Amino acid sequence: MPSTEIDENMTRRTVTVMLNNGLHMVPASEIARAVREFTGHLVIRRDQVTADPRSVLDLLQLKAEYGTHLEVEADGDGAEQVVDAIAHLFAINFAAERSVPAPEGGDDRA
Amino acid sequence: MMVKHGIAASPGVAIGPAMVLGVEAFRIPRRFIRADTVESELIRFRVALENVCREIATNEKMASEQIGKQYGAIFGAHLQLARDPRLISEVEELVGKRHYSPEFAASQVLRKYARQLQSLGNTYLAERAADLFDLERRILRNLLDEQREDLLHLTDDVIVLARNLTPSETAVLDRKHVLGFATEIGGVTSHTAILAGALEIPAIVGVGHFLAKVSIGTTVILDGHHGDLLIDPDDETIARYRDAAQKARAIAARMLSLGPRIAETKDQVRIHVLGNIEFPEEAEHCTERGADGIGLYRTEFLYLAGAHDRTEEDHYEAYRAVVDRVGDRPVVIRTLDLGADKILAAKDDRYDQSINPELGLRSIRLSLDNLELFKTQLRAILRAAIAGNVSVMFPLLSSLLELRQAKMILEDVKEDLTEEGIPFQSEIPVGIMVEVPSAALMAAEFAREVDFFSIGTNDLIQYTLAADRSDPAVAKYYNSADPAVLRLIRMVVRAGAEHQVPVTVCGQMSSDPKFVPLFVGMGLRTLSTTPHAVPEVKEVIRSLPIEHAEEIAATVLELDLARDIEAFLRGELKRICPDLAE
Repeated sequence: MPSTEIDENMTRRTVTVMLNNGLHMVPASEIARAVREFTGHLVIRRDQVTADPRSVLDLLQLKAEYGTHLEVEADGDGAEQVVDAIAHLFAINFAAERSVPAPEGGDDRA
Repeated sequence: MMVKHGIAASPGVAIGPAMVLGVEAFRIPRRFIRADTVESELIRFRVALENVCREIATNEKMASEQIGKQYGAIFGAHLQLARDPRLISEVEELVGKRHYSPEFAASQVLRKYARQLQSLGNTYLAERAADLFDLERRILRNLLDEQREDLLHLTDDVIVLARNLTPSETAVLDRKHVLGFATEIGGVTSHTAILAGALEIPAIVGVGHFLAKVSIGTTVILDGHHGDLLIDPDDETIARYRDAAQKARAIAARMLSLGPRIAETKDQVRIHVLGNIEFPEEAEHCTERGADGIGLYRTEFLYLAGAHDRTEEDHYEAYRAVVDRVGDRPVVIRTLDLGADKILAAKDDRYDQSINPELGLRSIRLSLDNLELFKTQLRAILRAAIAGNVSVMFPLLSSLLELRQAKMILEDVKEDLTEEGIPFQSEIPVGIMVEVPSAALMAAEFAREVDFFSIGTNDLIQYTLAADRSDPAVAKYYNSADPAVLRLIRMVVRAGAEHQVPVTVCGQMSSDPKFVPLFVGMGLRTLSTTPHAVPEVKEVIRSLPIEHAEEIAATVLELDLARDIEAFLRGELKRICPDLAE
C-alpha cells in the first residue's frame, strides 16, 4: 500500500520477513551495518510506517513480524547496490538467525 | 535508618556525608547545562560514546571467541545501537538546542525508544528494551566516570560510596577528606581492600546493591571493624558510634605506646613481627609501631598508579626510600605481583585475552614473559640492596622450573651490572612466596634452592579452596581457618625447619590476632602483618607462653571444620588477650 508518489528513478524491492522472532535487534543491526555508509535517500516501509535502515532504533519500530512484507526504497549513487544488499540479507534470512542463542541457561560453560 | 552489611576491609569508624559515585541505577547529577558550555558538553558526549563503542567492541570480540559467534552478535547489535545516527542526532539536538546535560539527553532519548518498543505489543521486541537500558547504563557510566575526577578535588569530608573502586582510584584517594569508603562489589583481599588498609582509610567492600537507596549527602556511619554501613542513622546511634570510636582510639593509642617493646612470648621466645607495606611512606608507620622490619614490600604501585612507564631510576628511588627509612632492619622486596590484564592490556593485545586472570598470566609468570620489565625491577632491587638488609622475593611460583628461570635471570642481571661497573649487592638472599598449593606440597624441594619462604595466605586460601576472594557470592567458601589451608602451612613450616630455611607468614591471616597463637604454636617465629596490626600482634605474643601456643596448634590439628577452628581460636584469644577479642 505505497502512499508516496511513484518516482521512476527510485530503486524499489519488496522483501518478506522470514525470521521467527521478526526483525529484531540482531538482524536489524546487520542491515544497519550493511548500509551505514550509504548517504542517499533510503527507507524501509511497512504500511504507513517508514524507517531509516541505517538506524537500528528506527528499524525496530517497524514491528516487522514473521511474514510481514516490507518495501525497500533507495535513490542516489549506489542505490541499486544498497537495495541488493538489504534484499540479500532477507534472502539468506540473516546470518544470526541460523544460530540464535538460547535466551537463558543455554550457556553451559563449566 | 537502614543498615547494610559488607565485608570489613579496613578497620576504623567513619561518620560523614555520603558521596555517591558511578551509580548503576543512575541518578543524573544535573539535567541542564549553561549555554556557553554546549560545545564542551557535546565533546564530552562524543568521547563517552567512543569509549562505549570500544567497550562494546571488546565485549563482542571476547564473547565471539570464547562462547560463540551468536553471543558476539548481540554485542555487534549493541555496537550498531551505540552508533545509531538517530540516537546521536537526537541527543546532540537536545544538548545543543535545549541545553540538556548529555546524561539527561541520552537517558531521555533511549528511554523514549525503550517505551516505544514496549508499547508495540510484541513481547520479543518489548524485551529488547533491556538492551536499550543497557546502552543507557554504559553511556551514563562513561559520562559519570569522568566525574570521578572530583575525587581528586575534594574540599569537604565525605564517605565515598561506589559500585567499585579500582586499585588505582583507591591509591589516589585524598586521605584528608575521604573518611572512609564502601563498595558494592569486591572482597576482603582484593587490591582495593589491601590499599585501603595501607592508606588506613576505614572501608567495607562487597556490600551488594545499595547505592540506589542512598541520596548524595545523606549521613552514613561506616564501621570498618564489623563491615556495617548505617545509612541515615538517628542521633542516638550517631552518639553511640562517636563514643565507641573514641574508645577504639584510646585502645589504639595504648597499643601504639606498647609497640616499641620487644615481641617475646612469656617464656622469652623471640618472635619477629614485620610489616607489610604498599607505599614507601608506610615504612614509617611500621617503625612507629615497633615493627622489626619490612616483611613484604609490595611493588605494584610502581606499575599501577602512574600513566608513564617507570624507569629503573623510579624503582631504585622507591626501594631506597624504604631501605633508608628502616636502617639495618630487614626489607623483603617482592617482584611484580599483578596480572597482565591490569598493566599491559592497553599496550599489547596479546595480554588482553585473559579469560580468568587469577589463573592467567600474572605475577612471576608475567615477569618471565616480559624480561625487560623483570630485569628493570631486578636491577633496581640489586642496586638498592647495597644500602641495607634487603632480600628479593618471587611471588606465585607453581613449580621449581619458574624458580630456576627467575634465579637465572637474576644472575644475568648481576652479570650485566658487573660489566657496566654499577655497584650492587651480589649476595642478596632469594626467597619465594608460597601461595600456590603446588609450591606448598613441594616445599621440601623448594627449600633446597631458596633462602627463605613467605607464606602468602590470601592466594593460598583462594587456590586451595577454589573460591574467588573478590566475589561476595562465594566469600563464605574462602575460609582462612580451613583445615586444608592449615595443613599446607604446616607442611611448609616443617620443610623449612628440616632445611634451616626461615618461614614467615605474610598474608592477611597473620594480621588477625586470633591466628597468632596458632602460628607460634606451629613453630613460626616471624610474622609479617599490616602496619596497624603490629602492636596488637606483639601484644598477643607477649601474653602467650609457648607451651600454651603449642597446645592450641595440637588441638586445631584435631578439628576438621573451619567453623570449629575459628570458634576455638576466638575463645583462646579471649583468654589470652581479652582486650583484643571481639
